[in-house]
Amino acid sequence: MENTVSQQEKLKQLTEKELNKPKFTAKEFKRQWVLIAISAVYVIYGIIFYYLPLIGWIMAFQNFKYYDGIAGSKFVGLDKFKFLFSDKTFLLVIRNTFAMGALNLFFSTVMAIVFAILLNEVRNRHFKKTIQTISYLPHFLSWIIVVAIVHDALTSTGIINELLLKFGIVDKAYPFLGDPNMFWGIVTFSHLWKETGWNAIIYLAAITAIDPCLYESAAIDGAGRFQKMWYITLPSLRPTIIILLIMNMGNVLNAGFELQYLLGNGLVQSVSKTIDIYVLDWALNARNTDYSLGTAAGIFKTAVSLALIFLTNTIAKKTGDERLF
Amino acid sequence: MKAKKLFSLALAGVMAASVVACSVPGKGSGDGIVDMTFFAAMAGKEKDDGNEIKELIAQKTGVRVKESWLTGQDAGEAIGSIIASGKLPDFIDGGDGCIQLYENHLLVAWDDYLEKYPNLKEMYTPEEWDKFRQSDGKIYWANVFGNHYKQDTTTGHNGEAFWIQVRVLEWANYPKIETLDQYFDLLEKYAAANPTMPDGTPVIPYTCLCEDWKYYCLENAPMFLDGYPNDGCVIVDVSAGADNPKVVDYNTTSTAKMYFQKLNEEYAKGAIDPDFATQTYDEYIAKLSTGRVLGLCDQYWDFAYNIMGPFAQTQTTTDGTSYRLDEMGCDYVPLGLVAEAGMEQQWHSYGDELNQASGIAVTTSCSNPDLAFSFLSAMLDQEIHDLRFWGIKDVDYLVDENGLYYRNDQMRENWKSDSYKAKHTCEYSYFPQWNGLSKDGKNCMQPAEQPSEFLAGLAAPLKKCFEAYGAGNYNDFIGSKYCDQYAWYPLWSWSNGVSNETPGGIAWQKMGEVKHMWLPKVVMSTDFETDWAAYQQAYNDVNPQAFLDEAQAEVDARLATAKANGTA
Repeated sequence: MENTVSQQEKLKQLTEKELNKPKFTAKEFKRQWVLIAISAVYVIYGIIFYYLPLIGWIMAFQNFKYYDGIAGSKFVGLDKFKFLFSDKTFLLVIRNTFAMGALNLFFSTVMAIVFAILLNEVRNRHFKKTIQTISYLPHFLSWIIVVAIVHDALTSTGIINELLLKFGIVDKAYPFLGDPNMFWGIVTFSHLWKETGWNAIIYLAAITAIDPCLYESAAIDGAGRFQKMWYITLPSLRPTIIILLIMNMGNVLNAGFELQYLLGNGLVQSVSKTIDIYVLDWALNARNTDYSLGTAAGIFKTAVSLALIFLTNTIAKKTGDERLF
Repeated sequence: MKAKKLFSLALAGVMAASVVACSVPGKGSGDGIVDMTFFAAMAGKEKDDGNEIKELIAQKTGVRVKESWLTGQDAGEAIGSIIASGKLPDFIDGGDGCIQLYENHLLVAWDDYLEKYPNLKEMYTPEEWDKFRQSDGKIYWANVFGNHYKQDTTTGHNGEAFWIQVRVLEWANYPKIETLDQYFDLLEKYAAANPTMPDGTPVIPYTCLCEDWKYYCLENAPMFLDGYPNDGCVIVDVSAGADNPKVVDYNTTSTAKMYFQKLNEEYAKGAIDPDFATQTYDEYIAKLSTGRVLGLCDQYWDFAYNIMGPFAQTQTTTDGTSYRLDEMGCDYVPLGLVAEAGMEQQWHSYGDELNQASGIAVTTSCSNPDLAFSFLSAMLDQEIHDLRFWGIKDVDYLVDENGLYYRNDQMRENWKSDSYKAKHTCEYSYFPQWNGLSKDGKNCMQPAEQPSEFLAGLAAPLKKCFEAYGAGNYNDFIGSKYCDQYAWYPLWSWSNGVSNETPGGIAWQKMGEVKHMWLPKVVMSTDFETDWAAYQQAYNDVNPQAFLDEAQAEVDARLATAKANGTA
């Protein structure tokens, strides 16, 4: 009891001391100036490149014309936002962006974890290394190449249709690329094909950091291979998974541009267009470079992304898990 | 170790040099020649560094221009990002984005230089130049195409048509084809009788490009089928007199329904390429280049130049027989189809189509505009014009005793070869140029229009086909009605630049989106009537009337201006 009180006392004293600690003095500055100078570089960098550009957000409330500049363009209030939210197409592209982003996040996380765990179980070192290298190589292809491959594979004379025809599963080539119901699937699959190996690297690294004693003691307790994966590997990965999930949540609305833009066509435009493509169509087209509309859409995206990050972070906090802030 | 250090030092030096070179455009390269840059918001082929004719022109004009083209993105995006970045080339052809460049004050006015350089001024009459004037009354660009010196010598049909391979016509003994029914009937019969190419791949009776803005290949045929010329966005009906033009929407006519229903039937029969709606432009060109496609609807410039090379190449099948696609009769001829047999059509427009909405411009980033305009002017000197389009005398063309230019077979083959063109020829194809008769009064400005060259350049089956129909060239062949152009023609020079700031402009963009989705869908539909009704519903929902009203206003305005000028 006494012990606790004195500890509390100590803590109180400590806080008071902290509070009463001398204001930032010249002497203090002199002692720390090197550190301050070094960190100031980053603060200034951040201000210039992350915060100053936000002045551009003013454009969303103007009818911005390049020549007139931000200072000279006419203010139009919330007109641009009104245009966005009264446009059925914009609501559609929000849905598409969310859907593809969520599908992508879910499947790429699951696949990366499964792949990392499976790869970790491979005993033959050379085989393991080879598989790992092969699986992450597609990450280095640009989307235009991936799209060319996917496009080729899915046309009426592509390998997929050839196989389906050969095995008699269909009697006429199936128009994969023209079917709106297939588009999200194709996009998700392309992402998995390109990124699974790469995404798995971070999980593989986390797995190596798990204390081998845990496995040994589990083995003594009679745990089999799958039980070890389930009761040791996965729970140990939990903090990594949560942190990556929170960070990726902010990227859900960046579900993509290149892939959907290159793979899309007239027939599937109702499911293929993302917010970025919408901005391109309406804000950066030859007939009308409407930067204001593009900025408005950008602000919307940022707001939603921030909300998503806070939401996930709060949930992580509530469940007592690792969190970002 | 030392060597390594030296190497990296050298590398750093090279990099620094290249950075400097990049950051100072328009500066000389040490040989007294000024390097300038050009960007076209179109697809095009790059020339090799040190291209032979480019160097010759550089020595004569003191300017060497590096041309770059669209890669991947479309014209609007490219121009939009150029404006946003503020990094402009010295010369630019912004396509539909020209107006954007002007509004952002990024172009240099031509007016003073026109007086200084008569070559440039000569391109157009004062009335024609007036059409290029922008809201501030000045001229900022000039279209370089389809402009005839002295006399019209057109041999080609650069516009849209239903194209068909001459071997199909030859097989059917050169029938008269006027309607969609006859056209598809012939394609099907030919494909049934000749199902494969020499290499064993099946023929494709009909395909249609549907990518991005080039879905016009699918979309605008109803306008022509009803006998109207290419106004691009609407039909302008003059049945109530040329003084009282009425704008009509070609998307909702009975002809439109008939046309798409026909395509729907043909798709169900398997006569239309199953990938037509999803193919990219590259895939389309690759397909055409194999000679497998018997028929298509497109504008000549969009496909023809890209397939000439492959058609002229000798190919070998696995069993060792060799063949050439042009000699097999895979070349395309244009058919001017109509909704009902006997109607007159205007697929081909006579006279120069003046597209005042775009052209070549000099930008404010150019450090020496006077030199730039003198270069543009020099492009029209006959000597340099000949170098651009005919090449070097005795290497690329010969001159007979009458002073007429001609090429031998080897020279013609050279000018079809992509690699030869990259290293040797330099057309500066988006710079000022002439069609029609050369300043010597004998030759043509461009070889394709020289009668002897035109005929000599045709493969035997194509020549035979022209003879069979009694046609001397492509525009004879398509047989359009000769018709003076109205004051508002071509209206697409307006609609290509309609901005989103008016209800009509927003409607125009949305009409495009609706059509781009629904048109391939109704063609592929298993229940045409239902889907057609749904399409019309979706189309009317985006308020096309707002656009049509603005189109009508533009037609009236152009007519009024012409009347005021006394040219209508």
